[in-house]
Amino acid sequence: MPLCRSPWRELTSSLHEDLKMAKTDNGIRICQGLLILGNVVIGMCGIALTAECIFFVSDPHGLYPLLEATENDDIYAAAWIGIFVGFALLALSILGIVGVMKSNKTLLLVYIILMLITYAFEMASCITAATHRDFLTPNLFLKQMLERYLKSDTDNNNDKLMTEGVTKTWDNLMLQNQCCGVHGPSDWQDYTSAFRVTHNDADYPWPHNCCVMGSQGEPINLDGCKLGVPGFYNSNGCYDAISGPLNRQAWGVAWFGFAILCWTFCVLLGTMFYWSRIAY
Amino acid sequence: MQRGSVLEGVVDDTRRLGPSLVSPSSACSAAGDTLSYIPALAGADLGGRVTGSTFVLEQPRCIFDKYDSADIWLVVATEAVLPFTTIPIPHFPANTSAYLTLGAMQYHYRCPEPNGELTVLRVGSETSCANNTSVPNCNGPLPGPGPYWWVVRNNFFSEMSVIQWHARQTPSSPGTGGGRSGAMIAITAILSVLLAILLAALLAALCR
Repeated sequence: MPLCRSPWRELTSSLHEDLKMAKTDNGIRICQGLLILGNVVIGMCGIALTAECIFFVSDPHGLYPLLEATENDDIYAAAWIGIFVGFALLALSILGIVGVMKSNKTLLLVYIILMLITYAFEMASCITAATHRDFLTPNLFLKQMLERYLKSDTDNNNDKLMTEGVTKTWDNLMLQNQCCGVHGPSDWQDYTSAFRVTHNDADYPWPHNCCVMGSQGEPINLDGCKLGVPGFYNSNGCYDAISGPLNRQAWGVAWFGFAILCWTFCVLLGTMFYWSRIAY
Repeated sequence: MQRGSVLEGVVDDTRRLGPSLVSPSSACSAAGDTLSYIPALAGADLGGRVTGSTFVLEQPRCIFDKYDSADIWLVVATEAVLPFTTIPIPHFPANTSAYLTLGAMQYHYRCPEPNGELTVLRVGSETSCANNTSVPNCNGPLPGPGPYWWVVRNNFFSEMSVIQWHARQTPSSPGTGGGRSGAMIAITAILSVLLAILLAALLAALCR
């Protein structure tokens, strides 16, 4: 009977509930604080990802024409996706912070679903960058160089554009890095090439851009270069100059994206847990 | 650079001397002297030692010292037996098995050898006269990958040691390769598992 309830019991039960509310309040506050911190980190990482991917897409080493000609330029696609994912992460992290502070179930549900979509896109970007980096072997670039460098008979406009891109890129590579061919000047001797069709072997055992150049942009000794005298021609290969920047790009996109996704995973799990605990 | 000027000297000299010298087949004496000189390919540090249509020989320095004003020639042949006559390079090897080139006088190969300077002969370097039959001793590019025999001789010797040049092998095309690295497999696997966990957690939260 309700009349049998003693006032003492009422006092202790109300104290008990107050204590529980205080504990739960503390727990909620800690949870909110952690989620806000997590979202701040996601926002900053999003900005960093956007900046990194813009840097890669701007192609500071001028290597994009080589990949375009191999039709294997998906590490650039991965960088493009990274730019937009970075922006999305920034916007969604702000939405998440607002939702957590207001404890609004609708906002948090929207946040979770959009974050999952962004997660899927970033996952695609990481896997694409890692997979396509595996295709970038020395033989791929060697084949491209032999087939396209200074090729004279081009089939159509697209072929002509790719050939010009490859020729210009290789000329820049050889002049700026003082290198020749992929493995060395012997590439031009060991394999057939489009270059050999228009340039005879006696005058051009390798392209003249392989020669050590003077201040005027002319070889310092053309005969020494043709003979292969050390000091008058560049005997090292260009593969390091190509693979270094491309590897950094691929691993930069793939591993940084992976790290962001691991952190986002934790924050999303926490948000789902928080969402399921708050009342409407 | 000193090296460079000696190189230019060698190539210019051989070009200038081209057509006006005596052919050894007509001035061959009956002395029958032989010499144990093996004309060698240039040192291995030269990257262009053997290319598709040229090769580089060491100059025959200090060999012909006791013979004054001898004409020295290089004979390139497709077999180890020299024919009686040689004709210009555009007709080689279809009409004959040897041709003469790089004619020089004895004083060009005088002792002592200069120190640190490159003394080589590049066979096949003149492309301007390669198809011109009116230039008799053109040092044109070799027509095929070989093999070739060559002999350095002057008009006092009827026979000298020859050496065979194994030509550069016929060029081919490279293949392409590429496998899957461990990093890519790790990234794919871990991210797929994490996404699956997230979707499962979402379903669990929604269906409560």
